[in-house]
Amino acid sequence: MIPREWIPTRTTRTHLAFLALPVALFATFYVYPIISSVYLSMHSWDGFSPDMRWVGLQNYKTLLAQPRFFNAVLNNIAWVAFMLIVPTGIGLMLAAILDRGIRGESVYRIIFFLPFTIPAVAVAAIWRWMYEPTNGLITTVLDLAGLGWAAQNWLGDPAVVNASLMGAVAWWTTGFAFLVFFAGLRNIPTECIEAARIEGATSWQIFWKVSFPLLWPSTIIVLGMSAIDAMRLFDIVWAMTQGGPAYSSEVLATQMYDLAFGRFEMGRASAVSVYLLLIAAVVIMPYILYMSSRVQDSEAE
Amino acid sequence: MSAALQQHQTALTRTVLVVFAVIFMAPLVIAVLTSFKSPPELTQVLSFPGEFYWQNYSIAFSRMGRGLINSIAITVPAVALSILIGAVAGYPLAYMRGAGGKFVYFILLTGMLVPFQIVQIPLFFLVQGLGLYDTIAGMWLVHTAYAVPFCTFFMRNFFASVPRSMYEAALIDGCGPARYFWKLLLPASTSGLAALAIIQSRAIWNDLLFAITLTSSDQSRPVTVQISGFASSLQVEYGPLMAGTLVSILPVMVAYLVFQKSFVRGLLGGAGK
Repeated sequence: MIPREWIPTRTTRTHLAFLALPVALFATFYVYPIISSVYLSMHSWDGFSPDMRWVGLQNYKTLLAQPRFFNAVLNNIAWVAFMLIVPTGIGLMLAAILDRGIRGESVYRIIFFLPFTIPAVAVAAIWRWMYEPTNGLITTVLDLAGLGWAAQNWLGDPAVVNASLMGAVAWWTTGFAFLVFFAGLRNIPTECIEAARIEGATSWQIFWKVSFPLLWPSTIIVLGMSAIDAMRLFDIVWAMTQGGPAYSSEVLATQMYDLAFGRFEMGRASAVSVYLLLIAAVVIMPYILYMSSRVQDSEAE
Repeated sequence: MSAALQQHQTALTRTVLVVFAVIFMAPLVIAVLTSFKSPPELTQVLSFPGEFYWQNYSIAFSRMGRGLINSIAITVPAVALSILIGAVAGYPLAYMRGAGGKFVYFILLTGMLVPFQIVQIPLFFLVQGLGLYDTIAGMWLVHTAYAVPFCTFFMRNFFASVPRSMYEAALIDGCGPARYFWKLLLPASTSGLAALAIIQSRAIWNDLLFAITLTSSDQSRPVTVQISGFASSLQVEYGPLMAGTLVSILPVMVAYLVFQKSFVRGLLGGAGK
């Protein structure tokens, strides 16, 4: 029959036409700028002058010798570890508690989720006020509790600034992990839980041996998104401290922004961004590979 | 389990919930209280405002009103365009068989790991070259382009959960693949599109990085840039700042509260069945 021969080719052509615009956008806004950044990173350039000097790998070598750069790398690594563990852990705990059926469940659900909807700059504005060293909420509460000695210059002291930022981010992002875990728990068939209960398992055992393994689809989404957010982290640091004091809270993204648009060292800024891409690729590629391999799974079913 | 132990446990979990609820709400409550306080009252963070000091809100609006309008003008079309491009890319990738489709899907997915810093400088010059620097249309284009990986991922997974028999039946009935997409698949996918629209409105409304890189004047600056500038000025006036911040929070917060269920369902997609 002719149609059988004919439909696939026409279908394929339509499919390719659909892909044309997204692929063109991807090529223009991802591929071309990345290549261009790699090219820029091997030059010395201020962004204005026609004089762009080839320096080879000099920018990369200079960065490796700078404590400022190393500090930002370490901060990024700390952020990845923090984002994978703390908001995920608290979100999982809250979801597990709420899943046991507690009065006022929908109110708690909204309260835990609300901060996630707020823009990073708004989180920064609110938390700069929380952390205000003399009249802020945290110092005030510590004073009232008789713990005034524990109050710090939360955002002004290099020793505590990163912990302060992480506190604000935990408040901001835990709601996402919470909601995804909560939805995942709700999707677990009750028969599985009942069966384990009849076998005599405690609720602690049921959670770790039955519920948690079945939560894998939620867990993978939360961990993947946390890693991506940690590598892209920019807004909240920039809006709260601009990387200060004395570069102590800098991550690679804010350092790159400062070099490019504050000091007009386009070449060195590009080299920072290439390093950032490489680190992000190492951290996140396993997730991308896993997500794209799940395609085959679903088609095989 | 003994009744006493169970009661004990319930009391413990209740306490944990209440403590976390207080921690989660405190910053928002303090922000609301602060936004109604006159400057001398600000030093007492835990007190209630003596009377509602609406002036904070009028100061905030005079400084950020234009930014709010710009944010709406940027977000609404950019959300529509980005979910549309995600659907357009996700459709063939959900139905194509063979290595070609998988390869394209993988390449588009790798976009999710790209930190935007590596595109930032060339993007600045690219947008300038297109004559779209400091324009709202430029922000539409940029937000749409950078949404391609995630929106494609999301819509492809959503389409993959639509029964394939619907597609095959339509083709046998003589419906072309393009017609199938516009007339049947898209109308049947409103729950997925709604969930993605919510995610995208948060991402675009909340963006700071692209906005500070690609806009420079009040003609196109969204509210996030204005708050950031307001907050980092030398003498921060927390009353008007909290008022402006709360106003900027509201649109996305309300959208999430209204569409929370479809957001969760869409996010878990096929995995959540």
